[in-house]
Amino acid sequence: MPNAFLVVDDSKLHHQMYNLAFARGTLAGSTVYHATNGREGYTLLAAHPELALVLLDLNMPEMNGLELLARRRTENLHPHIPIVLVTTEGTPEDEARGRAAGAWDYLRKPFQPADIERVVARALERAAPGPT
Amino acid sequence: MAADENAFSELIQDYIVECLPLAEQVGDAFVALERRWKEGDPGDNTLAALAGPLHTVKGNSAMMGIAPAQTVAHALEDICALLTAEPRLRGDEGAALLVSGSGMLIDLVRRAAGGAQPEAAAEFAEQARAFITSAQTGAAASESAGESTERRAGDRRITSRREEAASEPGSVVRVDFRRLDALLEVLGEGMIEQSAVIELYRRLARKVGPSDEVADLDRALLALQKTIKRMEGILMETRLLPASSVFNRFPRLVRDLAHAAKKPVRLVTSGGATPLDKAILDRLGEPLIHLLTNAVVHGIESPEERARAGKPAEATLDLRATSESGRVVIRLSDDGRGLDDASILAKAEALGLEVRASDPEQLRALIFLPGFSTVKEVSSLAGRGVGLDVVATSIRELGGTIEVSSRPGQGVSFTLSLPLTLAILRSLIVEVDRERYAVPLSHVTATVRTEPDTMHQINQKGVALWRGDLIHVADAGELLGTGAPPNGSRRFYVVIGTGARRRGILVDRLIGHQDIVVKSLDPTVGRPEVVSGTTILGDGKVACILDVVRILDQRVPV
Amino acid sequence: MHSRRGAHSGPAGAGVSAAPDKPRTGSLLHFADELDRQRPATEAPTGAELHLVTFALDREEFGLPIAQVREVIRVGEITRVPQARPHVRGVTNLRGRVLAVVEIRTRLGLTVATTTPRSRIIVVGVHDRTLGILVDAVSQVVKVPADTVVPPPEEVLSPGTDYISGVARWNSRLIVLLDLEKVLSLQD
Repeated sequence: MPNAFLVVDDSKLHHQMYNLAFARGTLAGSTVYHATNGREGYTLLAAHPELALVLLDLNMPEMNGLELLARRRTENLHPHIPIVLVTTEGTPEDEARGRAAGAWDYLRKPFQPADIERVVARALERAAPGPT
Repeated sequence: MAADENAFSELIQDYIVECLPLAEQVGDAFVALERRWKEGDPGDNTLAALAGPLHTVKGNSAMMGIAPAQTVAHALEDICALLTAEPRLRGDEGAALLVSGSGMLIDLVRRAAGGAQPEAAAEFAEQARAFITSAQTGAAASESAGESTERRAGDRRITSRREEAASEPGSVVRVDFRRLDALLEVLGEGMIEQSAVIELYRRLARKVGPSDEVADLDRALLALQKTIKRMEGILMETRLLPASSVFNRFPRLVRDLAHAAKKPVRLVTSGGATPLDKAILDRLGEPLIHLLTNAVVHGIESPEERARAGKPAEATLDLRATSESGRVVIRLSDDGRGLDDASILAKAEALGLEVRASDPEQLRALIFLPGFSTVKEVSSLAGRGVGLDVVATSIRELGGTIEVSSRPGQGVSFTLSLPLTLAILRSLIVEVDRERYAVPLSHVTATVRTEPDTMHQINQKGVALWRGDLIHVADAGELLGTGAPPNGSRRFYVVIGTGARRRGILVDRLIGHQDIVVKSLDPTVGRPEVVSGTTILGDGKVACILDVVRILDQRVPV
Repeated sequence: MHSRRGAHSGPAGAGVSAAPDKPRTGSLLHFADELDRQRPATEAPTGAELHLVTFALDREEFGLPIAQVREVIRVGEITRVPQARPHVRGVTNLRGRVLAVVEIRTRLGLTVATTTPRSRIIVVGVHDRTLGILVDAVSQVVKVPADTVVPPPEEVLSPGTDYISGVARWNSRLIVLLDLEKVLSLQD
């Protein structure tokens, strides 16, 4: 059964890239939901408990990535859905902060479709039992 | 560049569509900030708000494998972060780096599809690094480490994104302008077909005589006309863009020109919201750039000259757009030395043109003639100051007019008048010796029945007394070479005019007003002086459109 | 602005400017095939052939490569354009598009044409321009073996007639082959 993913990013270009990536190889046939800021992202996350993975940009207007993670933790929304923070920089402190906020993993830019496939594969392996 | 192996390379146009406006927005803001910092105002948090777009361009460039753009964007981001944290560093050096870097970034993004050279980018990154390091060495005395400055700046980067304006509301769509052109073409065809239907209806009505069906048809056609008119209105609106879309390149241009010419010049623009058809806007840039370049390079005096003349050291270029009764007027003025009437007169005489030195307006209008450069020095920036005839031709091709006025020692002012739209023209159809012509209504002042007591001859040239003025009246048949001998058939004359000039044109009949679709003249036909295009009338016949402006420009034959 | 839609009949004016009543696509080839069927070639084509549209001016026959010919239309109203280049008769309405019409007779040194019911406008494409050539009559579409083409004889050539690219001798006829680009370089 095809998997569902959520991408949260304020760049249209990134959404186009995600579409390309999610249409190829092992990811072909996936359903992808799109949000252009943290608030929309949170709404879509709440609406889709079946998501296999969320790709979350760090820098966005109206609720950035860290803020979304913080709210998710406070409200304990769908804790089983892994959220991957997508970012350009990655000092060890940034990563620690992200994980502390609840990010399951980091995806560093620039990435290629293969990197997304890898992250998805890892997430599916470790997926906690939940509604499919 | 890794773009070939990059799986996203097919998205290169989308990359440009997203990142070019961001880069330009950033670049424009830097140019504006440079000016403010020069005036001693370190400004608010405009700078902080620019970090977001830079971050996006950096990230996107990285994703697309466009390393030079990524490098430059990163360097700019770092400089921005430093200057955001340290307002005391906001000065000429930092500003110059930001302006040149953003110019480079705009260029790199624009040419991303064609591949970019990395050397310039690497060089800029070096300059940025040097600037930041030397600034931080000064700041390091009071800070524990360079990293903490960057860390604070990094945090600011994330939080400042919230202050950015929200991204485009979902009700805006991006449309390829060619689609709008295609729509306009189809609408034009529709209007031609509509004219044909109306013509057929008229003939039918005459044949059949009044009846209920004819009356119904009449009403239905009227309703159709109204609907098509509304469609035209809405379509024209979608093609409108604000004048600022062409104006906003100019502050940077003037800044660069001023630097190169070593003269302080500032550009003041107003009326940026004035709407213009995109097709016209696209072709307006070049002539305006010519005029601006001429102004900076030749019109504005050196700082010493200005001081001697008691003028402020910094020269001002004033560019404004306004809409006036269905046309858009763009005025560019400078406070430079003005036109040199003596030079123009000398040049005119050298070219064998006859001029009346007593009429400065007529004299100055000569500068639009080819070969008429009175500038003595050659400058690498602007050549010989030539190009005014090219400018005039470009403006004319857009259906516009250009006039110049000057006050010696005080400056020059160019006034461009442009139609709101290229494609559909409200016109008056006239008949001359059984040929029909369209006269753009925007230039028709009046139509007058010829009465013997108002028509006179002075020096064998026709004149008419019209509203208390004597205006020259030309015979349309002669003007247009119809070849028919004069037979007193001219019942009317049409007063055409632009600005202060007026002329009458004698015709046989006035057929009526019509909205016509303008079809440009095929180059095969040549470049007639009196005709600016053609159109298809309701009965399917082609009619020529009179080039009113050229006709008015024509010197009255001796 | 030019009309690009197919099967669009022009405004029915005084009847003279009506669009051809055949479907536009393939109309010329259809016409060509019809004529070929009426007069079969006397030789079996061998090797390279020139596919030509031939037309008459006075009693001379001329040929144009079919690749350059878009269509052939009747002569409608031709509007004179003041101060047009020499050899431009005027412009005409071709299904909503304004087409320049070239008076090829004067270009080739003949007198101006008086149009007759047999006159036609051959619509040609040269580079990316489309224009019309006014001719006395269109004869037919022929396939001429390339080896029947010879350079024009000295008597025919005169200064400024570099637009003749050769003469084809075919079925006891002489067809003067025109180089359209040279004909249309109206740099007089």
